[in-house]
Order: sequence, then C-alpha cells, then structure tokens
Amino acid sequence: MSSENIESIVNRRYEHGFVTDIESEGLPPGLNEGVVRAISALKKEPEFMLEWRLQAYRQWLEMREPEWAHLHYPPVKFNEISYYSAPKSDEDRPKSLDEVDPKLLETYDKLGIPLHERARLAGVAVDAVFDSVSVATTFKEKLSDVGVIFCSFSEAVLEHPELVKKYLGSVVPRRDNFYAALNSAVFSDGSFVYIPKGVRCPMELSTYFRINAANTGQFERTLIIADVDSHVSYLEGCTAPMRDENQLHAAVVELVALDGAEIKYSTVQNWYPGDENGVGGIYNFVTKRGDCRGDNSKISWTQVETGSAITWKYPSCLLRGDNSVGEFYSVAVANNMQQADTGTKMIHIGANTSSTIVSKGISAGKAQNAYRGLVKVMPQAHGARNHTQCDSLLIGKECGAHTFPYMEIKNPSARIEHEATTSKISADQLFYCRQRGISEEDAVNMIVNGFCKEVFKELPMEFAVEAQALLNVSLEGAVG
Amino acid sequence: MKQSALSIDDLREAVMRLPDDSLTATREAALASLDEQGFPSIRDEDWKYTDLSSAIDVSNRWLAQGAKTESTDALRKSIKAITASIDAHWLIVANGIVDLTCFGEPADIEVEKFSDSATPFVMDRPLADLNAALLHDGLRVQVHGATEKPLGVLLIDETSGGAGVTQANVDIEVAPGCDAEIIEYQVSSGSEDHYANSVIALQIDQAAHVSYVRIQNRRAGHIQTARLSVALSADARLNMASYDLGGGLVRNDVDIDINEAGADATFNGLFLAGDGQHIDNHTRVEHRVGPASSSQEYRGILNGRCRCVWNGKAIVHKGADGTDANQANHNLLLSDHAEIDAKPELEIYADDVKCSHGTTVGQLDETALFYLRSRGINKRQATQILTHAFAADLVARAPVATAKDAITALVEKRLGELIKEEDL
Repeated sequence: MSSENIESIVNRRYEHGFVTDIESEGLPPGLNEGVVRAISALKKEPEFMLEWRLQAYRQWLEMREPEWAHLHYPPVKFNEISYYSAPKSDEDRPKSLDEVDPKLLETYDKLGIPLHERARLAGVAVDAVFDSVSVATTFKEKLSDVGVIFCSFSEAVLEHPELVKKYLGSVVPRRDNFYAALNSAVFSDGSFVYIPKGVRCPMELSTYFRINAANTGQFERTLIIADVDSHVSYLEGCTAPMRDENQLHAAVVELVALDGAEIKYSTVQNWYPGDENGVGGIYNFVTKRGDCRGDNSKISWTQVETGSAITWKYPSCLLRGDNSVGEFYSVAVANNMQQADTGTKMIHIGANTSSTIVSKGISAGKAQNAYRGLVKVMPQAHGARNHTQCDSLLIGKECGAHTFPYMEIKNPSARIEHEATTSKISADQLFYCRQRGISEEDAVNMIVNGFCKEVFKELPMEFAVEAQALLNVSLEGAVG
Repeated sequence: MKQSALSIDDLREAVMRLPDDSLTATREAALASLDEQGFPSIRDEDWKYTDLSSAIDVSNRWLAQGAKTESTDALRKSIKAITASIDAHWLIVANGIVDLTCFGEPADIEVEKFSDSATPFVMDRPLADLNAALLHDGLRVQVHGATEKPLGVLLIDETSGGAGVTQANVDIEVAPGCDAEIIEYQVSSGSEDHYANSVIALQIDQAAHVSYVRIQNRRAGHIQTARLSVALSADARLNMASYDLGGGLVRNDVDIDINEAGADATFNGLFLAGDGQHIDNHTRVEHRVGPASSSQEYRGILNGRCRCVWNGKAIVHKGADGTDANQANHNLLLSDHAEIDAKPELEIYADDVKCSHGTTVGQLDETALFYLRSRGINKRQATQILTHAFAADLVARAPVATAKDAITALVEKRLGELIKEEDL
C-alpha cells in the first residue's frame, strides 16, 4: 500500500466525534459524602439505596487503585470529575419518542442509529441512556405483556425495590474492586432487566450508551435477572463524542441466571479512543460479572471492543450451578495509542460445569493489547471443562500483544485446554488476495474478518454487521 | 497472612563470621540490599503461588543456632555414590563448601574460585542477595573445548544437629564454537530441615552448543530455591532438560536471555509431585534480537496432597523480528488434593514473530485405562504404564547421554512411589 494512502486513512477523524448541544444539569466536580447524598436525593431514592451508596463510598476511600494491569496512563484525578449530569428535560420526561428532544434524536441519527425506525423494524426495545438518565424507552408495553421488566435503574429502584435489594451487589459486591466501589457510590443510572419464570424475552433488549457533557464521569449500573427457565439476549453498544480530556467510565454489570436460565450479553464498544497521539479518549474501567446461580444455567458474553483509550475489562462467569455453562467471545482491537487489558474469568464451582473462551486481539499502530484471563476450578467442581483459545494479530512494528492467562486447577477430573498464538498477517496471504485483484485494504479486511469470524458468529445479526463495519473502520490504514 | 521476616541481625552476624577474603565487600553490599528489599512475598506477582515463609523460618532457626555447616561421613558417602553413578568431571558444593576432589584434570576446563578472582557477580533480586551475602565461595568455570566426559555440578547437602541453610554459586562460560555437556545435580539428605539456595549462570558464546541436564532429588520436606540464568550469543544453542523428583518446597527460576541473532534455546522439564510437595517452575525467555527461537515443554504428574506451579514467560522485545517462541505445559492430576497453577505468558513488542503456547490439565484417559484392564492388567499397573508413558517422552529427551540411565532409574523409582495401591 502506498504511504500517502496510509497517511490519508490513518488521519481519518473519528466519525462520531461531535458534541450535542443540550444543556446539562450537573453537579460541580469533586467527590465527597455530600455528592453521594446529592446524587441519591436527585434521584429521589429510598433510604436503603442511600445507605448502600454511602457504605460503598466509605469502602472506596480505603481502597487503592489497581496497578497490576499492563496499562500506562496518567493518574485519574477523581476530584476533578463531575459525578452527575442529566439532560435538562429531566423534569418532564417524554412519554413517547415523539416527545423526545429532537436534538437528541438527531444525535442518534448522526451515529447511524435511527432509533424509532430501528426499534420498529428490528423489533428492538431501546432504553437509550443519554449521559446519565434514561430518556427514551420503547416497546415497554409489549414486554410488560409477558411480565418482562425492562427499565432504567433509577426507575427500578423506585418501582421494584424488593428485586433491587435482593440482587444489587450480589454478583459484584460493593468492595469487589476499586472501580466497582466507586461505581456503587456514585452510579448515575443504567438498565434493569427482570425476566420472569419460564419466559423467553420476545425481543432483543438493547441500550445505547452515550457520553456527552464534558468532564462527566459515566457510572452505569446494569442488573439483569433471568428467573428459572427464562431466556434473554441483551445488546449494549456505544459511541462517544470527541473530547480533549480523558473521560472516566466505570460501569458495573451484574447478571444473575437462576435454574435453567440463559443470558446472552453482547457488547459493541466504540468509544472515542483518543487522537493519533493518544490525547483524549475514554478510560474504560468496567466490572462485568455473571452469576450462573442455578443448575443448567448459561451466561454468554460476546464483545467487540474497538474504542476507548484505556480498556480494563474482564467479563466473568461464576459457574455455581451444576451443569452451568459460561462463554466468552471477544474481539479487542487496539490502534494508534490505545491500550487494552481485557479478558475473562471463569470460576468453576458446581459439578460438570463448562466454559469456553475465544479471544481475538488485534494490535495496530502503537497500541498495546493484553489478554488477561483466569480459569479456576474449585476442589468440588467435578467434571469441569474449559477450552481457551486466545489469538493475537499484530499489524505494524510498534504495537504489542500480550497474554497473561492464569489457570488454577484444584480438581483432578478437570479437563482444561489452553492455546494461544501470535502472528502477523502473512505476506503469502496478502499476495494471494492481491494477485486475484483484491486491493490491499480489502484483503486485510478480509483476513482480519476471517480472524474474528468465530466471535462475530456469536453476535446477534444486526450487531454482527455493525461490528464488521466498525472493525474495518478501526483498522483501515493500519497495514503497510 | 503476614509473612515472618528474616532476622537481619542474626544474618549480619553470620556474614561477619565468614572468612575475611575478597568476597567480603560483596557480602556486605548484598546484606544491605537484602535488608532494604526484604524477602519476596506472595504479594509479589512472581511469588503469587509460592510462599517462602518456611524458608525464612528454617533460615532463622539456622541463624539462631550459630549458622553452622559441617561435613559428615554420610555426606561423603552420598557424594561417592552419585559421582560413581554418572561419569563426569564433578564440581561439588557440599553443605555450601566448594570441593574439587572429584573434578579430575580435564584439559579443556578451567576452574577458579570466586575468592581468587575479582570479577563481581550479579545481585539483582533478594534471593541472589541472600546467596551473595552467605556465600562461602563460588566457582567460575571456563569450557574451552569438547571434553570426553560431561561437566558435573553437584550441589549436595546433608543436615544433622539442627536446621541447615546453604548457598551455591557457579558461573560457567562455554567458549565460542565449543560443544559442552553439563549435568546439574541437586540432592540432600539428613534428619533436619534444610534450605538450599543456588545461583548458576551460564554464558554460551558464539556458535557454542550446550546440552544441559538438571536433576533435583532433594529429601522430602527440604526447601530449594534455584536459579539458572543462561545468556546466548550469536548462533549459540542450548538444549536442556530438567527433572524435579524430590524436595518439599521447590522453586526453580530459569531465565534465558537471547542477546544475539541465530540463537536457539530448547528447554524441557518434568516434575513429579506427591504428598507435601510444592514444586514451582518459573521460566522466562527474553528475545532481545531476532531471528532466534525458543521452545519449552514442561510436564507434571501430581498425586497426593501437593501443588505445582508452572509459569512460562516469553518476552519478545521491540525489533526482535523473526522470533519463534513456543511454550507447552501438560499436567496430569491424579488426586483430589493436587493443585496445578499454570500461567503461560507472552509479551510481544515486535510484529514479525511466531509465538504460541498450549496448556492442558487432565487425568488419565479412561478408555486407555479400560483397554489395559480388559487385558488383565490391574489398575495400579495400568496407571503406572500410562503415567510412565506420559513421562517417558521427556526422559527420552535428556540431552546428556551419560546421565540418561541415572535419570530413567530415578524417574521410575519416583513414579513407583507416587502411584500407590491405596490411592486407587
């Protein structure tokens, strides 16, 4: 590929980088007990929630930021972040999409997410989170017909406090880690899903996250409960406007699958990764964990990670029920100055549990991409089965690809397999495509898509298409 | 759990009691460094799975008793038996004291004591500091040509009348173009607790080839921390196999530095662990330039209440294009109380590389067991046949022919002990 060509593509700007001009009602920067109380009061939360937040805040004060990840970034100044912002129209929330701020809809349009169209045509209910408060929820009625609860977290706290009380923090405890504690103290909003016994959720549930107002940390909290023999597929996707300052994001996602339940959680993450020099970009410190609490339950994580300056994310499964199944399929792309330290944990506790890990890391530019995973088989977990495959693809001389897999096996009946490979796109493969008249860029896209195929096939249809396009955009011009 | 600390004051006294020679300054520097850094604890990522509290405890008891090391008749007998079983030019460190009586006079190997030469040695981590601080004397060896017999390094300890702690430090350089065979044999006996800490450095010069065998057969309950660092020059080759059979708490660190292009390092290991054993193998390969290749395969057989650790790390530095690095680790877990912690790590900063790792953990194949039993072989024998087959591959790869018989015998004996009737 000619060097000008590479230049032009490398210099391509982040297409989704813009700021929607909606006035934000936010708290001043800084964090103390007062801020925690203010957030709780703004959301008119019951006493138990405030108490929960305060305890988390006190625990957070005693914790230290983790340093073990293969990441380098300037320290986060927690006192310069505003911990709450909400679109101004919060007081009179729109009852339907027609009432939604047209500017907001315009935003989604620019992102290529025609919200109402998509919702109607694709049958996807969207609980769109714009900054910190949910502003549009669709298809709620259709869901409530079958008893599915799909609402913003704030709503759930007010309307289903018994469920929130029972499950909140039961998978990711407040003091699980530094960022989870921070999130527990100041989480703004998020999604709440409850699928009743025996119900197969009639549509795929989806949330689009956006980070907007400058200097605002986004602290999402998602809780999904799949009751006995239920099934749900949940999609999470996000894009973010261009920023010069680093934006902190510390989300917590908790999944609970009871006997025979299945949760499929898919993510396409495309937050602003920073410019070519690594300026700006999102810091993404996420705690995601699924608890296969019941026998024969299944939790499946699929993620396509292309954005963020820093990614620190390990969607995990606690396989507590007998015969429970955990899956993790991941494509992580790091280009330019991006750094990713991501992977999964599979903790085998019940009998005959099985887990599959397929991780594909792609590094380009000056990026560092690390897979960090743990497979742990407890002494009582008879018949545990794990297969792990983590492959890395290197594009360019200055990037890095790393793997840190931990295997802790305490039961002799376990069968654990781990394989990993690292390589670059071979000249032979490229040559083969080129001599058949395929341009170098298309050839690279084909090869990369082939490399990621195992993961893409796990994504729901509409996500898979988006993910492929995203991957091509993320990597364009990275090959020389 | 709070880790007990090494009593530095007692250690200082022990260091002062060592002979005043050219190593004195080094010992004092090492002591100061150790005092500052402290012993590694399980809070250090590299020591996550291995707790050295028992080594500290043995050391403190040994120091409190006046840090004595004595040679006994039993020790001389053991030396005789081992040097007779493998024909080699033996350099011996017996209870921490250098002994050249079994070395002979090979024409192409030069040996010099540390105390007779001025070259400083590496102290880059607490265990190396401990080694330097308490070292009676070390050996510097230069191999200039192919000798008809291998070079043997026997680190042997025997305890009586109180806990023992010993240090050994050997520095070997194999000259350009030479072929050398080296056997490292660590063994101990005696009724008391013991902790042995060794540092061996091997420099393989340009186009030299080294075949290296490591045998560790310490007494049950004895503690060993052993470090082997190998540096390879252009087109140098290392072919190594290590066998861990005995000991209580055993930690082996193999550090390989590929400093020039064309080097190749192949190193394999077999660890057989039974009740009360904790065997930790940490390997680290630094590919600083390419093209070069490294390949390792470690296999473990675990039975009884034991824990083994294998941590393989390959680092491919920026610009080390043409690197080919492979890691493999396979483990056989035969007991409910055995634990294996495996961690194959790759850190890659270059793009024209081929790196892979594979790890498996499992038990014996049920169908293979059934096949053997259907032919009238009892369960114990069938288990032995299959575990033996699992180990045999690595025994066959022992690169030093002279040592093969001894290794085969030791592995068979140990496997016989591990697979007992009552377990099945």
